[in-house]
Amino acid sequence: MRSADPARARILPAALRTLLGAIALAGTAVTPIAAAAADLAAGKAAAGACAVCHGANGVSAMTGVPSLAGQTDAFLEWQLVYFRSGARRSDAMDPVAAKLSDADIRNLGAWFASLSPPAPPAGALDGARMAAGVKVIEKYRCGSCHQRNFAGLDQAARIASQREDYLEKSLGDFKSGTRRGGGAAGAMPDVAFPMTHEEIGAVAYYLSRHP
Amino acid sequence: MAVALGVLIFASAPAIAADQLIHYDSSNKAFWDHPPADWFMGDENTAQKGEDYRLTSGPATGISGDELAANLKKIKLPKHFHISVYADHVLSARQMAWGDKGTLFVGSFSLGVVYAITDHGGKREVKTILKGLTMPTGLAFRDGTLYVGDVSKILAYPDAENHLDQMPAPKVVYDDLPSYGPHGWKYLAFDAHGWVYTAIGPPCNECLPPTSTAQVRRINPATGQAEIVALGVRNSVGGDVDPRSGDYWFTENARDWLADDKPSDKLEHITRMGQHFGFPYCHQGDIPDPVYAMGHRCSEFSPPAALLGAHVAPLGMKFYTGKQFPRVYRNNIFIAEHGSWNRHSYKGGRIVRIVTDPQGKDLTQVVFAEGWIQGPTTYIGRPADLIVAKDGSLLVADDFSGAILQISYKK
Repeated sequence: MRSADPARARILPAALRTLLGAIALAGTAVTPIAAAAADLAAGKAAAGACAVCHGANGVSAMTGVPSLAGQTDAFLEWQLVYFRSGARRSDAMDPVAAKLSDADIRNLGAWFASLSPPAPPAGALDGARMAAGVKVIEKYRCGSCHQRNFAGLDQAARIASQREDYLEKSLGDFKSGTRRGGGAAGAMPDVAFPMTHEEIGAVAYYLSRHP
Repeated sequence: MAVALGVLIFASAPAIAADQLIHYDSSNKAFWDHPPADWFMGDENTAQKGEDYRLTSGPATGISGDELAANLKKIKLPKHFHISVYADHVLSARQMAWGDKGTLFVGSFSLGVVYAITDHGGKREVKTILKGLTMPTGLAFRDGTLYVGDVSKILAYPDAENHLDQMPAPKVVYDDLPSYGPHGWKYLAFDAHGWVYTAIGPPCNECLPPTSTAQVRRINPATGQAEIVALGVRNSVGGDVDPRSGDYWFTENARDWLADDKPSDKLEHITRMGQHFGFPYCHQGDIPDPVYAMGHRCSEFSPPAALLGAHVAPLGMKFYTGKQFPRVYRNNIFIAEHGSWNRHSYKGGRIVRIVTDPQGKDLTQVVFAEGWIQGPTTYIGRPADLIVAKDGSLLVADDFSGAILQISYKK
């Protein structure tokens, strides 16, 4: 009924290039959204408390806890605002976010965004699993909001090189309806709902290994 | 051998697992909770979307103080009109409603909160009075009760203004609304007889809408009665009752992904119950949908009262009933245009003024306030709703800045 979307076709070669380890895609040049200036030093200081769970330099070593390093500034800030407003719930984050001022949120967002994203896990890539991940990405059009290199942009999250278990957990939470609400992420429960557990596993394997 | 080969061939044919099938069956709950994803994502195309698409929303912590004041200097208004900050730190601000005692209630989109802004001798306090709702964009106030649209139901909070510190448990006054997110957010507008008008948007960009969607309904919370007043309506998040005629007028966002300059968003005027405004068959009164027209002609449907332009995203609207603005503004329609999210260079992001008689004849439109778009795809604010204040000034909810702005007339 609808013609194929050329955007979907383009994801495949890009993903394959990554699979072969050839070239990392160039990031998108972005002009920042107008906002009050952030204080990086203050962000670094405030981030000390985050390290307990999210790891030193924003690289998480804890199961089920996301890495924050290299995440987009706007996404980080929006999630903190959602935790603070009650639109997104987490037993761990609710009490932390409740105490954050607008300035804290801007500083933390800028700080974690300034850090280098986590390196993909060491070890040989399973080509079949990577190819399965590419299929899922095409089917659900992940690159449509998260960008073709999955580095995210503005409030669309960076999902490349995120912890595999966390990617599985968040997609599972969206699928079950445990996680909902929050801006454009309002679309994620509907995107994740028809995903099978195998598909979630495949896309998590792929993205966690995408630099 | 032949049998074995046959089995082999059968087994290697492309088999689709049952859980891979896309379901369009609206007879189950899952359909209403999670409409098929290709309905709201499926029509995107790279030509219209660009290669590296970016979502549009403001800074998470809003724009306030000096930065907001500096932005307002860029807003162009007619002579003798002035714009100022009424209240900031109202993140994600959407529809506004006045309480009887002067409380300004404000809904929100993604934050799921409702605010109450109270005025203490010119010093305004912004209080979050409700949390954890689902896209409570629409709200209305009548006879002491605050009504909030919570996607699948309309909630009533009696005696709200006396309980701002601890809101009472809500009563559900209407729940015959779908639960899905896409186009599930509401706008509420009461008429003089106690009917509240709201639209039920289809869960798609362009599709044959599921039964009982793509409508405007009116609901009487006192009796629980509901009526369908208009059909063929896509995404309407703004409307008001003409104080002269009692007719309901509403804004409507047209389908996406056709082109930068078509189809036009619309202003509609309901002149009889059950009118059909064309969706999904016909857009802007004269463009049959390339796929979904399916033999229908545009002449079958009620024509728009006004074409507002493609991708301008008209949201909240109000008839001007105040006395502060010059007399020619009385009963004019002001429309808040939220602005584009998927046009190559943004349009809208302004307030438009419509001058019309109650019949919709001799209708003219002019831009009233603009300047929220600075550069091809740069917002400094996005008008989402309007309301007339007691002193006759016009308040603007700006969900990008997270602020309520005030436009006043003073010679």
